[in-house]
Amino acid sequence: MYGRPLGFFTLRALLTACIASAAAARGDANGTNTVSFGRDVLPILSDHCFSCHGPDEKHRKADLRLDTREGATALHEGSAAIVPGNPTQSALLARLLSTDPDEVMPPPKSQKKPTPAQIETLRRWIAAGAQWGGHWSFEKLKRPPLPVPIGAAASNPIDAFVRARLEAEHLTPSPEAPRHTLFRRLALDLTGLPPSPETAAQFLGDSSPDAWANLTESLLSSPHHGERMAMWWLDAARYSDTDGYQSDATRDNWPWRDWVVDAFNRNMPFDQFTLEQCAGDLLPNPTPQQQLATCFHRNHMANGEGGRDPEESRIDYVIDRVNTVGTLWLGLTLGCTQCHNHKFDPVSQADYYGLSAFFNSIDEDGKAGGGAKPFLSFKSPLATPAIKEADALLSARKDAETAARTAANPAFQSWLDATLPSLRKGFTAWHPILGSLESVEGSLLTQDPDGTVTASGPNPRQDDYRLAGRSPLPLLTGLKLEVLPGDSGFCGRSDSGHFILTNVKVQVRKHGTAQVREIPVSSAIADFSADPKNHKGYGRVQDILDDDPRNGWSVHGSDPATPHTALLAFSEPLRLEPDEELLFEMRQRSTAGDANLARFRLSATDQPGTAVRQLGPTPLEELTAALPENSSSVDAKLREKLLAQFLTTHSPYLPAKEALDLAKRQADEIRKASDPLKVMVLGERKEPRETHVLLRGVWDKKGQPVQPGGLPSIAPWPENLEKNRLGLARWLVAPENPLTARVAANHLWQLLFGHGLVRTPEDFGLQGERPTHPELLDWLASELIHSGWDLRHLLRLITSSATYRQSSVVTEAALARDPENRLLARAPRHRLPSWMLRDCALAASGLLNARIGGPPVRPYQPDGVWEEIFMGRFHYEPSQGPAQYRRTLYAFWRRSAAPTFLFDSAQRRVCEVRTPRTNTPLQALTLLNDETQLEAARVLAQQTVAASASTTTRIRSLYKRVLLRDPSDAELQTAERLHTSAIAHYQQHPDHARQLLSRGQSPLPKSLPHHELAAQMLTASMILNLDETLTHE
Amino acid sequence: MSNANALPSDPRALALTRRYFLNEFAGLSLGAIALRCLQSGAHASEPARTQDGGLPGLPHLPPKAKRVIFLTQSGGPSQIELFDEKPSLEKWAGTELPESVRQGQRLTTMTSGQKQLVMPARTKFLRHGQSGASLGEWLPHMASIVDDICLIKSMHTEQINHAPAMTFLLTGGQIPGRPSIGSWASYGLGSVNRNLPDYLVLISKMQRPSDQPLYDHYWGSGFLPSRFQGVKLRNSREPVLYLKDPAGLPRELRRSMLDGLRDLNTQHLAETGDPEISTRIRQYEMAYRMQTSIPELAEFNDEPESTFALYGAESRRPGSYAANCILARRLAERGVRFIQLFHPDWDHHSRLSSWCTARCRDTDQATAALIKDLKQRGMLEDTLVVWGGEFGRGVAGQGDWKSIEAGRDHHPRCFTMWMAGAGVQPGITHGSTDEFSYNVAENPVHVHDLQATILHQLGIDHERLTYRFQGRDFRLTDVHGRVVQEVLRT
Repeated sequence: MYGRPLGFFTLRALLTACIASAAAARGDANGTNTVSFGRDVLPILSDHCFSCHGPDEKHRKADLRLDTREGATALHEGSAAIVPGNPTQSALLARLLSTDPDEVMPPPKSQKKPTPAQIETLRRWIAAGAQWGGHWSFEKLKRPPLPVPIGAAASNPIDAFVRARLEAEHLTPSPEAPRHTLFRRLALDLTGLPPSPETAAQFLGDSSPDAWANLTESLLSSPHHGERMAMWWLDAARYSDTDGYQSDATRDNWPWRDWVVDAFNRNMPFDQFTLEQCAGDLLPNPTPQQQLATCFHRNHMANGEGGRDPEESRIDYVIDRVNTVGTLWLGLTLGCTQCHNHKFDPVSQADYYGLSAFFNSIDEDGKAGGGAKPFLSFKSPLATPAIKEADALLSARKDAETAARTAANPAFQSWLDATLPSLRKGFTAWHPILGSLESVEGSLLTQDPDGTVTASGPNPRQDDYRLAGRSPLPLLTGLKLEVLPGDSGFCGRSDSGHFILTNVKVQVRKHGTAQVREIPVSSAIADFSADPKNHKGYGRVQDILDDDPRNGWSVHGSDPATPHTALLAFSEPLRLEPDEELLFEMRQRSTAGDANLARFRLSATDQPGTAVRQLGPTPLEELTAALPENSSSVDAKLREKLLAQFLTTHSPYLPAKEALDLAKRQADEIRKASDPLKVMVLGERKEPRETHVLLRGVWDKKGQPVQPGGLPSIAPWPENLEKNRLGLARWLVAPENPLTARVAANHLWQLLFGHGLVRTPEDFGLQGERPTHPELLDWLASELIHSGWDLRHLLRLITSSATYRQSSVVTEAALARDPENRLLARAPRHRLPSWMLRDCALAASGLLNARIGGPPVRPYQPDGVWEEIFMGRFHYEPSQGPAQYRRTLYAFWRRSAAPTFLFDSAQRRVCEVRTPRTNTPLQALTLLNDETQLEAARVLAQQTVAASASTTTRIRSLYKRVLLRDPSDAELQTAERLHTSAIAHYQQHPDHARQLLSRGQSPLPKSLPHHELAAQMLTASMILNLDETLTHE
Repeated sequence: MSNANALPSDPRALALTRRYFLNEFAGLSLGAIALRCLQSGAHASEPARTQDGGLPGLPHLPPKAKRVIFLTQSGGPSQIELFDEKPSLEKWAGTELPESVRQGQRLTTMTSGQKQLVMPARTKFLRHGQSGASLGEWLPHMASIVDDICLIKSMHTEQINHAPAMTFLLTGGQIPGRPSIGSWASYGLGSVNRNLPDYLVLISKMQRPSDQPLYDHYWGSGFLPSRFQGVKLRNSREPVLYLKDPAGLPRELRRSMLDGLRDLNTQHLAETGDPEISTRIRQYEMAYRMQTSIPELAEFNDEPESTFALYGAESRRPGSYAANCILARRLAERGVRFIQLFHPDWDHHSRLSSWCTARCRDTDQATAALIKDLKQRGMLEDTLVVWGGEFGRGVAGQGDWKSIEAGRDHHPRCFTMWMAGAGVQPGITHGSTDEFSYNVAENPVHVHDLQATILHQLGIDHERLTYRFQGRDFRLTDVHGRVVQEVLRT
């Protein structure tokens, strides 16, 4: 799959030329005098030579390899590529410097060209004896001694390393950041949540020397710490609540997510964490929790596309597991070796399939959805609190609905009293639509005054009939289609006398406008429908609502001479302006064709509820027929029907009803979480599968058989270690493995600093970046192992360093000197991840529901996003009540339609350990208009307005809650200016205030003046959008 | 990560010190600042960009196409019914496909269990135009543009299932994660329009639940920075997610809020010195402008009646393929670089005569109208239009080949696509297939070749537009691809 890497264009040359001074800051060759093989030479060789002269023997050219000293110094036809100590004799340099297009290396076609500076580096290295060495990350991990920085005494080992480097570069570290900044930074890094104003006040007032340590401990011991760490792990583990691909079926793997939170909250050592997730099922007498942990390796996508060979999918999953282990534990881009030997790193294709053998005998068969065995039947203890929460909401909403129903009684009675006399003149629910007619294929359509339309003349194989006319009523709730026998005596014009209606469309066009609007129809019913099984898919009347011509309404099986009726209910009542026209299209496009309608009539009604959902007389028609003396003598059953119909349009009642329906659906769904869940886990087959190299990585092209094994060039396989997944896990965390601890320590650094010490956390190989502080990384990695893989120990160490506690303010000079802050002379400043922005808004407003774990929830997102992608197959209903305010960690993750309010997030398709950080207008729109952000702003407004009558105090209080600090006078003035103009507007436009304050579900207090609330809400929204709010400072 | 990112930040970031920023702010109107938003790098460590937001050094070649409209027909339209006339199939009807033709071709599990019996085309073919190209009768309108398009009958791909094949067609790799072709174009060239994204995606609104979801990685930016990803214009009140301000927040108050936000952020910029804050200010201003520029675009009130007559009645329905064709032309007029339509549901495993015709009716008239419309506006000269799906369909009937119920299974070894405009030779047919429309007979065009050709017309050498990720320089065409010079005007 991966081939020869191609040259990267002029960019590199351009940038190299532009900013050589900054390269010095990174300690490149330019900055020091001695050439280091690993640091200076290997990257040049790797970039320019190894794709043809590297470890991949299949693609090696001229039988020359430059990745080993033997290869590079071997004689080829009398000359050697490298003659140590003698640059002029070294063919390598001659070829690099040649101007002959047939001689020069790399060949011009490769688009690679080393810079003169790089060639000079090679020359100096050869002149100095061409000392060979290994790639840094493959070298055995040794604990480097602490440097003693000149001048500054560093009590924290991290500072010793960072400061030694700064001093070498003649830079000074930044002063400590202000305490409110520090506190916010630490809380966000360790829990992903801002501290509450109360906790903040406590820390800010604590001047004891232990204050920082105490704060750190309290944050680490908060259950939210595990949630924060889990977000890192879930992104890497490509965790999702659905399969992905075509069917994208929902899976119940969320108990694994809770296992991860719990493991972090118990500070499970990272080696144990590795063992349990990789091979918990193979541990002696595994607990259910340990089996659950292995869901890690089932979080890959699953393809349920019809027609797909399940074995191909199964191979995909095995490959995905190997690549995930490569990225997450080893920091290696093993994916390259699926198809061929690695071009740069010492990993062969056979090694790759040796690793894959560990995952090749899972008792799975490549199926998705409910067929994705093996499963663990697991009952989550965290389901109960979720169910209680949902039931409590349901019961509250039931009460509210009952109260609203009772409250509607007087209004119903008056309506009934007022309606009865008007019925004495007679009442018709349905009114025929008269208008212009069109046939697309040439049938002749004529309409009688009673609305009946008759088709005559040509009878095309397929035809669409269109009727366009004014509505007989100002308000429409649905349509009635009567199919009538034509002149031949039959409803259809076919030989059999039958018809097939494949699709209808209802549209409205306003006079003088270009576009039509489509009117959604929620249901279709008919007095008779054929069984589609017996009639090639045709029968069901509701199938006329889709765009599929292979199904539709047919009355085969009944007498074609009998009239039939279908009712279409609109999703919501349609109000038509006098200059609007109703368009009705009937498509008759069945496969065999020849099934056009002979005669029909279309009518409309304004009667809501059952009138358009049940055949037969509407409630008012029944009432007209009965016509009782007065409303008290209406038959009880009919009265119920009339009440039901009345309530469907009674606006004071509708919100309570809708809220109840939503809570009911939510409770029904959540209750299922208490059943034993089928969690996808690992389990071995009785008979192991034989593993082969797959030629070119193609799933069914088997090459030589391979045995399970680790990567011999990285770390030896200890002799007594079992050759199974458990052995693999132990090999990963064995002290001899040079990569895992380095990679893990780098991840922790990245969590706190926004970038790792190696800025390519996914690639510690030859093509990855070198660490900015190699000794520091090795020291941390070694400390991680020595502490018993104690992640919290490392977090504590790093956060207690002066390096971590520096200010992130940057001067012009510092920016020019080290624009990317690789030397750490200041703290990083970067935008918070989007999930954290949502959590912060919830926390700052006090909306946050801090419950841990349980079934996934659905935060607000714009309507119709799932529906669009799946053309209506999945519906997204935002969670109701407290469930709405859960942390983003618990947001339902549909792989093919990730939560819309997140940006720059991992895609959760394959393992990702570094997410991009961009800055786009779409992000600005999200933060301005996302419902969660708006509701948080409203609730912040409610709290701050309730607490004080002074605008100034209210704004100060917003700053305190969101940023833990007071605003400056200038800031206060700016905010007050907005507040003043907003208050003026909302005083004049109370309707605007009411609309703005309607965001979100949480109750709006009636006692507070709306114009003040709305103005404060807008101000709060501005504070929530401040760069400072969005940023890790 | 790109090598660009491995190197220190761009000069722009260096230049954006406080003083520079304040000067700039003092000298420019707010609108002018907003204008620069899309072109300004959104990422602290990206290379410098040209005035249009492209990479320096691009285009590599004089571009023939200023923009691309890719009419993606998702599901695999049948070349046998629509384009690739094979009269001799009649004599093979109902017989088993010779193994000499099939040569072990993989099938999906939907038909791997059944005999491969030849099913002749369900359509009659007619010759059209001066070029005499023949088309299936289900495309009566496209017949009127055969002299403007170049049919490529020898397309082939390596994937046989929808998602991998579509991913392959649009990103050059079958596994999600690589940048889509539009993202590459946006990354390399930027666009002249500062009020709209460079790359926009329009999806037909249909009522039928689709069997093939259109994944957002089809227009994703993969490992390229996310601002190069396609922005999907939705068929709803809100064409871009979160575009609409909440009810009760009038425009002038939004402006006041953003003024306040800008002032506060500017104060903070002075305190922290982080140039990223100035980028953030620009992005908020750009967001504000998009709130008017995008709805203007999606409303057709300034279109004359003749437009709707040309594109057909369906073009009045927002979200229809036909309406999206009009929208595509409007985007092209505004300088958007890459416009991609998706029309789903071409996966006709059964009942070609109702199912396939339905999708033809959705698209036929509007597709032809788009070509004519571009031509009459003089825009076909520099607009490349591409029509096609991820693979074709097999010659064997799926189900009982004699029955009207029969359909066809997926077929990767040959299928038809067409291109028009922007230096593509009009009125020619390139490549051919064997008498079963099963294997390419001459001039094969691999999807990587198509990708190379599209980039070439935009002035991009597909071998030179690369991005370093995970230690490797990636490009759209992987290590393959050849510009199909034979279809280009010299």
